[in-house]
Amino acid sequence: MKRRELIGGALSAAAAAAVPARAQSAFDWRRQDGQTINLMFNNHPWSQAMRDLVADFTARTGIRTRIEIFNEEQFRARLTTFMQGRSADLDVFMTLASREGPVFRKAGWYADLAPLLADPALTAPDYDAADFSASIQAANTFDRQVVAVPINQEGPLFYWRKDVFERLGIPEPRYLEDIPAAAAAIKARDPNIIPWAARGLRTAIPYAFVGFVNNLGGSVVTPDGKPGMSQPASIRGLEMYANLLKEYGPPGALNHTFTQVIELLGSGRVAMVHESSNEFANIMRFPNRAKDLGVKILPPGRESGISKPAAIGWGISISAHSRRQPAAWTFLQWATSKETQGKLVSAGVAPPRASVFQGPAFEAWTAELPIRRAWAEALVRLGREGSGVFQPPTDRIPEAREKIGDAVQQVVLGRATPAEAARMADEELAKLQ
Amino acid sequence: MVAPALVFAGVMIVFPFGYAVWLSLCEIALGQPPRLNGGANYARLAADADFWNGLRLTLLLYVISLVAQLVIGTWLGLLLARSRWARGIIRTILVSPFMLPPVVIGMMAIVILDPSFGIANWILAQLGLPPRLWLSDPDTVILTVAAIDTWQWTPFVALIVMGGYLSLPGEVFEAAEVDGARGWQRFRRLTLPLLGPTLVTAAVLRSVDLLRFFDVIYITTQGGPGTASTTLNIMAYRRGFEFFDIGYASAIMVTLSAIIFGSVLAFARLRRAVTW
Repeated sequence: MKRRELIGGALSAAAAAAVPARAQSAFDWRRQDGQTINLMFNNHPWSQAMRDLVADFTARTGIRTRIEIFNEEQFRARLTTFMQGRSADLDVFMTLASREGPVFRKAGWYADLAPLLADPALTAPDYDAADFSASIQAANTFDRQVVAVPINQEGPLFYWRKDVFERLGIPEPRYLEDIPAAAAAIKARDPNIIPWAARGLRTAIPYAFVGFVNNLGGSVVTPDGKPGMSQPASIRGLEMYANLLKEYGPPGALNHTFTQVIELLGSGRVAMVHESSNEFANIMRFPNRAKDLGVKILPPGRESGISKPAAIGWGISISAHSRRQPAAWTFLQWATSKETQGKLVSAGVAPPRASVFQGPAFEAWTAELPIRRAWAEALVRLGREGSGVFQPPTDRIPEAREKIGDAVQQVVLGRATPAEAARMADEELAKLQ
Repeated sequence: MVAPALVFAGVMIVFPFGYAVWLSLCEIALGQPPRLNGGANYARLAADADFWNGLRLTLLLYVISLVAQLVIGTWLGLLLARSRWARGIIRTILVSPFMLPPVVIGMMAIVILDPSFGIANWILAQLGLPPRLWLSDPDTVILTVAAIDTWQWTPFVALIVMGGYLSLPGEVFEAAEVDGARGWQRFRRLTLPLLGPTLVTAAVLRSVDLLRFFDVIYITTQGGPGTASTTLNIMAYRRGFEFFDIGYASAIMVTLSAIIFGSVLAFARLRRAVTW
């Protein structure tokens, strides 16, 4: 059995082990009635929606919640302080296992959810853990330890202004190589619109960048697991991403992350962006964008024919130091239940449950607007074809991502050629392995 | 009588700093107890190009901002002290920038200085001047951050100078006037020396703030573009909380604390030298 299948099935297997006992299951949503749990979330459409929904959880279980939401950097700083101090005050936290999973697990910060899933007294009989796809389960499972349950799926998507392309007589990019050509045509024909925007902030770059490398047939990792930025196709991806920012991006792009990119797109000042699927709901709040935008997965490379942008999913975990783990687990179940995920759809949270994604509520919601349908289709492809690999294998993932972002910045600033920047990045990345 | 003060100093100052020093001497793996590593973090500092870059940027930002704030603050303070009618209302206006939380200052800077949609470049365009990249240009980002801090804190220096000037003995200036001292000569030979202790006090207060300057940089650039605004504070924060390298981050912060302590000591000596 392949390793991915092995770990991918851990969450389902844990749940399946509980099946014979379910006949005598004594699960009761109100078993932890009267407890109070502390939750810490990253500022995210999921957590914003959760703040409004959590009253339903208290009504159903009698468990009260205290929610703290911080922007991502502050969230991580506070979480690290709590966990390093072995604080028992924190019960549930959001986690991006693809980023911090190996480090947090090594530190012993995650409670193992597998025994909880296997306990019929603690897990609702209709929880249906197998409803999460194997790849999503695998991302949250390390050597059979289930560290989180998934709350969404996301990745960068290609958004473009259909009205601008139509007005300027420019065809919609079908291949990745069409994007620079379209950007050049937009720049020549309408100087009032910025042709392209994407993340330029060093630490934020890899999320949007890795698709360019992959789609051109490269990879940030060599087949033997070494840094792969210097592979010819990877260099071409680096060159294209950096040149788009440099030649066609907004001034000051190197300080831009999703907030600025979305502001530019929403306010109608940019023609194309590669930005998170997660920001879809925020983009739709701007006037006219629901009508004039197109959205799809990043176009494939002309030669490679593949489209493999980043695909990630946030999860929620229970702190290993929590003294209220059964109550925390009750929250995790409720928050990731079919019913709750169905409600989160209208907040623009892409559900990681197959039954919700293919269910009538989601179908009805996407049918209301063509762009919602396009977004949902892009997410299906993202889930199927996307990649969770942003950097070569290492426990020092945030540092590795910074080295990759730095390579892009050096090219944008004209301080290194793509080949030089790639070589320097590989040298630095090798030190982190 | 002094026991509460000693307990307070011990709990709130000596213990946290002592703990940081101890952490700086340890290797810390997340979730594990710290393990002494014989000063390896400090040896690593000495060989780390990023540390030296951070130190250079920290000192550069410090010198540019301090000089600008002292010079402009002194000029503004004297102007205020001499125009009695404007003192009340202008003093109120001047207080506003440094009453604002740094987060607000940072967010304002992002909005105003954004090269694409900020008002700063719009104003330059109205004046027929070329746009600037402000916080996005590695060559000017430190100057821009220094300008933001100078905008916020120069009024603070001005108010200190104004207070100091108004407390100076008036007869000295009258005597100087009788002796024919005017303008620049009077400022250089009389006002400035008399204001010496006041200016040193202002410099000490601003030095401590400037050397531990973090919030506005973090909000506006996160240390970028590249590492062009990665001062020691930013570097330590990122090492500690983003890369989970807490021992090394502590070593950076202890080193920075030593620099701050050294600068305060130097100014304390200077203050004794300029006291009249």
